[in-house]
Amino acid sequence: MFYQTSLKTITVTAVLAALAVYAIAGGYFPREIVVEIAILAILAISLDVVAGYGGMVSLCHGAIAGIGAYTFAGLTALAGFDGFTATVAALAISALFGLVVGGVTANISGIFFIMATLAFGQMAYVVIFEWKALGGDDGLSGVSRYDLSAIGLNLNDSLQFALFCLAVVVIVYAVAAAVLRSSFGRTLTGIHVNEDRMRALGLSVWKHKAAAFAFSSFLAGAAGILAAQHTMFVSPELLVWTVSGEVLIVVILGGLGTLAGPIAGAALLVFLKHETGAWTEHWHLVIGLFLIAAVMAGGRGVYGQIEHSFQRRALRTANA
Amino acid sequence: MVANADFWLTQFLNGMQLSMLLFLLSIGLTIIFGLMHFVNLAHGALYMVGAYAGVTAAASLGNFWIALLAAPLAVTLVGIFLYVAVIRRMRRAGPMNQVLVTFGLIFVIVDLVRILWGDIALGMEQPAVLSGPVEIFGVVYPAYRLFIIAVGLVVLVTLGLVLSRTQIGAMVRAGVENDAMASCLGINVERLFFAVFCVGCALAGLAGAVAAPVFSATPSMATDILIPTLIVVVIGGLGSLSGAIVGSLIIGFIQTFGAVVLPGFASVLVYILLAAVLIVKPSGLLPARS
Amino acid sequence: MKFHTFAALAACASAVLVANTAAAADIKVGLLLPKSGTYAALGKEIEDGFTLALDEAGMSEDFTLVVEDSEAKPSVGVAKARKLVLEDQVDVMAGIVSSAVLGAVRDFVDGSKVPLIVANAGNNEATGESCSPYITRVSFSNAQVNRPMGEWLAKSGFNKVYTLAPDYAAGHQMIDAFTETFIANGGEIVGSEYTPFGKTQDFGPYLTKAKAAAPDAIYVFYAGGEAITFVKQYDSFGMKKDIPLFGSGFLTSPLYVAAEGPAAIGVTTALHYVPTLNTPENKSFVEMFTAKYGHAPSEFAVQGYDAGRVLAEAVKAGASDRETIKEQLAQVSYSGPRGPLLIDPNTNNIVQNIYVYETVADGDALTQKVVGTVDLVRDPANGCKLN
Repeated sequence: MFYQTSLKTITVTAVLAALAVYAIAGGYFPREIVVEIAILAILAISLDVVAGYGGMVSLCHGAIAGIGAYTFAGLTALAGFDGFTATVAALAISALFGLVVGGVTANISGIFFIMATLAFGQMAYVVIFEWKALGGDDGLSGVSRYDLSAIGLNLNDSLQFALFCLAVVVIVYAVAAAVLRSSFGRTLTGIHVNEDRMRALGLSVWKHKAAAFAFSSFLAGAAGILAAQHTMFVSPELLVWTVSGEVLIVVILGGLGTLAGPIAGAALLVFLKHETGAWTEHWHLVIGLFLIAAVMAGGRGVYGQIEHSFQRRALRTANA
Repeated sequence: MVANADFWLTQFLNGMQLSMLLFLLSIGLTIIFGLMHFVNLAHGALYMVGAYAGVTAAASLGNFWIALLAAPLAVTLVGIFLYVAVIRRMRRAGPMNQVLVTFGLIFVIVDLVRILWGDIALGMEQPAVLSGPVEIFGVVYPAYRLFIIAVGLVVLVTLGLVLSRTQIGAMVRAGVENDAMASCLGINVERLFFAVFCVGCALAGLAGAVAAPVFSATPSMATDILIPTLIVVVIGGLGSLSGAIVGSLIIGFIQTFGAVVLPGFASVLVYILLAAVLIVKPSGLLPARS
Repeated sequence: MKFHTFAALAACASAVLVANTAAAADIKVGLLLPKSGTYAALGKEIEDGFTLALDEAGMSEDFTLVVEDSEAKPSVGVAKARKLVLEDQVDVMAGIVSSAVLGAVRDFVDGSKVPLIVANAGNNEATGESCSPYITRVSFSNAQVNRPMGEWLAKSGFNKVYTLAPDYAAGHQMIDAFTETFIANGGEIVGSEYTPFGKTQDFGPYLTKAKAAAPDAIYVFYAGGEAITFVKQYDSFGMKKDIPLFGSGFLTSPLYVAAEGPAAIGVTTALHYVPTLNTPENKSFVEMFTAKYGHAPSEFAVQGYDAGRVLAEAVKAGASDRETIKEQLAQVSYSGPRGPLLIDPNTNNIVQNIYVYETVADGDALTQKVVGTVDLVRDPANGCKLN
């Protein structure tokens, strides 16, 4: 069950505020890192919705973000549509893809579900790679950022773009929290806990799962749109399955099923990547060891572990 | 196109060769998966280690055949280390955690290989007796690829006999079917799992060493072969030898014939097939447990 | 460690780094190369050649090098390029192995008005429709290396050719260039296939299909690991004696031809550089490179060397900041290890000789025997408008 606890609020505010300060005070590269963290956080939140609260562990969320990115890039750079229309279209197409995947895989569980999502993600990758008009392996450039001059913002300035992305994280978190708190979200958690019982109560489980996956994909598409605008370039490597694996790692490192954890996890992974990358080119090794240790130590993630100890303490004082 | 019969026969042999390679890898993975309920994404990384071990053994000892024995041995040792350090503890941890831990293992193993052997592809010489083409059924075909097919068939027959005719084979089959019950019957399931895991690793190492002369050893081997292997295991069905061979043949032939008949579309075809099997019959075509 | 402390420390660390790199000498060079992944070896060769050129000119002290890892990924390349330009404030950038990275950074380089010396990436558009006065290429363009072979094969009496290449932009560009000149000289392409890029390890099915088309010769483009695998498998099918193998020179590049072993013997390809070129400039270059790095230079090393050399020449001619470097780069011309080298003012692409060479045995090793030279190959404008 999802409750917006004060611990969650504090953590989210603290992390995002720290990132904002880092972006403001830091030079150019810190702003790039903040944008990277923001995009990854949005993607991780979207995955946590289905994986943490819905029990559907997906290995195609990277591909879904990629679909959002390509739709946005294609419509703006190739077809000349404006940013707003392209955004609506990209979010819609991402959600549609998620609806299809969620619906089709509704009766599959466990490792088979993971593999099915992997299959769909790879299908999307191959389609995008083979679609010549989208540039194939060389990718598509010429993507421009939103034109917010009407409200006095220039997103081509790196600091403003970084802060904009952090604002989107807040919005995405709030939207996800609102949905999870609603009856839709509670039903989703119920399905995760005991699917048969929900079915016995008369619920159309597969429709619900499909809708949840669609919602999650909607959010993932938002991450993709920002990613496209960040580098002003898209390439098929956004859809490779290892990217989806990284998003899952972020959710686990932060804390599965906490919604606030993924934000911390994103920051943790990106900083870890860059810091280890600075002193060795074999940073995959370090990340791998870290991941193994984190999972073997209980798999609750950094924030998840904190939340868990707080809850235990609260329980103890309540029972005392 | 000239000489249709020759063309199709050669492609058939190409398909067989790829299928046998996939079989060597998938049989290990499927038995581990079916018996231990353990998803080992690092299986591809073990294949890669086998290839590099083979390359190094062949280069330093100068003998292909000794390398072919050394590589599975080396990979089994690596596997034992992984089993004791990581896998044994994660056996009951649930698919997601297993996916994550073995994903981490892929990172670690691939980077270690890159540190030890560098980034450039390393070649391995085929043994003199097998290099060069031979004539078979009227087509000219590389002898070494026929050797790969032979190795696969030998392993298939051996495993088939072991599983159906020996006591340990019966224990493995019992464990796959119902490990709790098997344990009640006095079978030391833990030790059985360990033995099966070691055999799986040895087969992955053998596959790597056998493939190295044809494909060269590269760090990207670990992830390149992983998806086809997983697809074979899922489509063929968990835990069964027949599932592994059927799955390997299906995927091997789709990839081979798809590449020449429907290029571009062939790669999507495999994923569509995978999705279809998962939706209609998630346990696969010929699972051990029905 | 608490998050904010970490963030603050990281901010301090980058500030210190910026301060340090700002301190030193006159011209700041940003080298953007892959240091990890499949192209790491090429990145190293290019960097080695680059530093050798600066040493040779005696100007190492006048340059500060900032090296960043592009990982051959466009998104990473763009992020690092932005860092080099906006945070490190480099005067000039050099490197770029992957065409995808080049495509991704092109707009940024052009918009920020920072000169970029391309030391490998060959996509035609970079000196074609996407050209820029700030992008100077000293490596090659995909079309440039392959056009001469079309004519060569036709004139050598091969009428029917089957082509193979990996299915990505560079693969198509290389084969298209060959096909254009081959057909223009009376040849016929009897079949053409593109293999899944980076994922094909088994060329068996494709080789079988190629053989069934009964060509006189096969022309391919493969590089790196795929080249090694392809050449070995081609040989194992026993096709070489009936259907000779030709290709773009990367197929048997000196950097990794040794891994191909005897399978590479007799394969004839064309490249803009081979270490066995018999000129005094090349001999001294090969000697210098081998003495410093312990192995003979490949075409990637010479690309890096020329990138360093044109920069050194530009600075010697008086360039000192972004605009003047950009002006002077276009004027450089000299006779180097590759032979004559000059920059085409219409495209900012290099104009250079292309050497057709056969890989032959030299005792236990392999070496390159030049069998033909095509002088001063120049790319057509292809939509480039440099003002």
